[in-house]
Amino acid sequence: EISKSVEPPQPSAAMLSLKSARFLEVRNELVNYPDGFKSPNPALNVGSKKGRQYDKEFLLQFQDVFKEKPSTDWDQKLRETVGDGADGR
Amino acid sequence: TNSSDGSGELKTVFHDPENFNVKHPLMNTWTLWFTKPPSGKGDNWNELLKEVISFESVEEFWGIYNNITPTSELALKSDYHLFKKGVRPEWEDVQNKHGGKWAYQFKDKKAVNIDALWLHVMLAAIGENLEDEDDNEVMGVVVNVRRGFYRIGLWTRTVGKAQGKTSPEQGKEMLLKIGRRFKAALQLKDNEQVEFSGHTDSAHAGSTRAKAKFVV
Repeated sequence: EISKSVEPPQPSAAMLSLKSARFLEVRNELVNYPDGFKSPNPALNVGSKKGRQYDKEFLLQFQDVFKEKPSTDWDQKLRETVGDGADGR
Repeated sequence: TNSSDGSGELKTVFHDPENFNVKHPLMNTWTLWFTKPPSGKGDNWNELLKEVISFESVEEFWGIYNNITPTSELALKSDYHLFKKGVRPEWEDVQNKHGGKWAYQFKDKKAVNIDALWLHVMLAAIGENLEDEDDNEVMGVVVNVRRGFYRIGLWTRTVGKAQGKTSPEQGKEMLLKIGRRFKAALQLKDNEQVEFSGHTDSAHAGSTRAKAKFVV
């Protein structure tokens, strides 16, 4: 009989990138965003100390790009907090 | 991987969603909370209010948003709260007890896209479009799912009083400015009034709504 060991789920590449990526210095580093993506509106950050203001149009671009769960135990965490959340239980 | 080319090139999720080396920081760290509907067995508020997760980057926000129950699918008496880290979404929190909230009720639940509205309000909060950098007024935003309406609120630290170097007039003007930006994020028409009330006024009024202190 073959015994299967249950491996804990491994984090995905996207989860690992999210963890290891460093914070962009928004005011000092210029990102060349790929064609079709716009930069944050620079006017928002004029006179700002930290430069971490983002307009809605910039933020919405991430919606279809980054869909990875925050962690491998996310589903369990959601069950413990939000529950099934839905109507008609 | 990107380290092997040694170029120090900035790679965002837009370049490669699986293999990126920079993420976009938020001005504040935010915590998402959820209020479970009461089970009817006399459970207390503290057991119903659950801290879900904290985050401090744009990428983390979307990972959460894309993997959590949409507001439109929540049971009645549920709330989502998105608050600055360290502030509990309760009147009794020491940072809220002198504050109040801007709020709008959407009474025709079928006519509104509550998921889009709540998303846009969260984006305005985390993108820091609701207040200016040194205002230090916004504590968080909240959506309530009820039988007769959806309500979206924005909690502020004060009720627009004089404090430090600001006059009462300046304090009020700051709150009105935040209220107008909140109204814009909700894409309301000019004649749709967003109302501000202090938390203590609301508490004394019981479950009914307190008399609005300001409107925009």
